[in-house]
Amino acid sequence: MENDEEMKKDEFSYPGMGEIIFMKTEKFIENVLNWGRRNSLWPLTFGTSCCAIEMMPFGTTKVDSDRMGVLFIGDSPRQADMILVSGTITKKMARRLLNVYEQMPDPKYVIAVGACNVSGGLYHDSYNTIHGIDKIMPVDVFIPGCPPRPEEFMDAVRVLQKLIKENRSKAQMDHERIL
Amino acid sequence: MKEYFEKLKGVLGNKVKDFGVDGTEYSVLLVDKKLLKTAAEIIRQDFDVLFMLAVADYKPKFELNYVFSSYDKPDTIVIRTYITDRDYSIDTLTEVFDSANWEEREAYDLFGIKFNKHPDLRRILLPEDWPGHPLRKDFVVTDEVRNWTGLDLKF
Repeated sequence: MENDEEMKKDEFSYPGMGEIIFMKTEKFIENVLNWGRRNSLWPLTFGTSCCAIEMMPFGTTKVDSDRMGVLFIGDSPRQADMILVSGTITKKMARRLLNVYEQMPDPKYVIAVGACNVSGGLYHDSYNTIHGIDKIMPVDVFIPGCPPRPEEFMDAVRVLQKLIKENRSKAQMDHERIL
Repeated sequence: MKEYFEKLKGVLGNKVKDFGVDGTEYSVLLVDKKLLKTAAEIIRQDFDVLFMLAVADYKPKFELNYVFSSYDKPDTIVIRTYITDRDYSIDTLTEVFDSANWEEREAYDLFGIKFNKHPDLRRILLPEDWPGHPLRKDFVVTDEVRNWTGLDLKF
C-alpha cells in the first residue's frame, strides 16, 4: 500500500514533471523514427563469393524482400541503411569493405552472411582471410550456413527489425543518439 | 617437337637438357639461370605467350617452371630452372613476353623471388604491407599472422 501511494505521489507531484513530458516526447519521436528505419531497410550488397549467389534470390519473387521494405535499388553506400556482407573477406578486401562501410550514413546496420564472416568457416586456418568480420566492424546479425538459404536472409531482416525496435542494434547502442 | 630443343641446343650448347615429351608438352631443363633470357628470346620465335610461371620451394632452392604456348600450334614448351643463390634473384622476362609482368609479381608476392630489372615489382595479391612471403616452406602460420589485419580500427 505504501509503495502504491509513493508511486501515485511520484506520478502526480514530482518536481521535474516537465522533464518527464519531454522525455516521453523524445521517446515518441524515437519510436516513430525506429518505425521508419526498420520498415525501410535499403541494403548495400557486398558480395564477394558464393553467399552472394544466395543473396540474389532474396530479392526475387519467391523470397520477396520488397514486402519487408528491403529494396534492392541501386547499390550506393550513400543511400544504404544496412550492408549485407556476403562472402569471404580477405585481408586486402577488408580495407575496401571498411571504405564502403564508412561512406554509409548513420544509423547503419551490418548483417554478416555465411560461415566465413561468422568465424572464418572453411578458411579458419588461412593466413589471408578475416576470421569473422566482427573483428573489423560492429555486426548486428549473423547468418550461419555455407552458404545460407535465401529464407535465412528474411529471418535475419526480421531479427534486425526487432533489434531496431528495441533500440538494441549496434548503431543505436554504440553511437550517440541523433536526437 | 624436337626442333625446338635443337634450336635451343644450337645456341646454348650443353647448358640445356632434354626432359622429354608428355603429350604436347615438351620439357627442357636449363642448367644456368643466367641464360634464361637468351633461351626466352629463342623461344619467342616460335611461341607467343608465357601463360604460366609455376614456382616450387624445395628448400633451400626454388624450382621455376616457365610454360610457353602458341596461338596457332598445339605445342607447349616448359623451361625449368633452379635458383640456388641466397639472394633469390633471377632476370625478368618482361622485355620478351609482356605477360611475364604479372606472373613475376605473383612469384615475388608469394615466394619473395627478386626479378632483376622488373619494371613494376610490387605485390599483386596480398596487401602492400604484408609481412613475409606465405608460400615459402619456412613461413609458419602463427596466431599473429592469422589475426593480422593491417587496419587502424576505430571501434
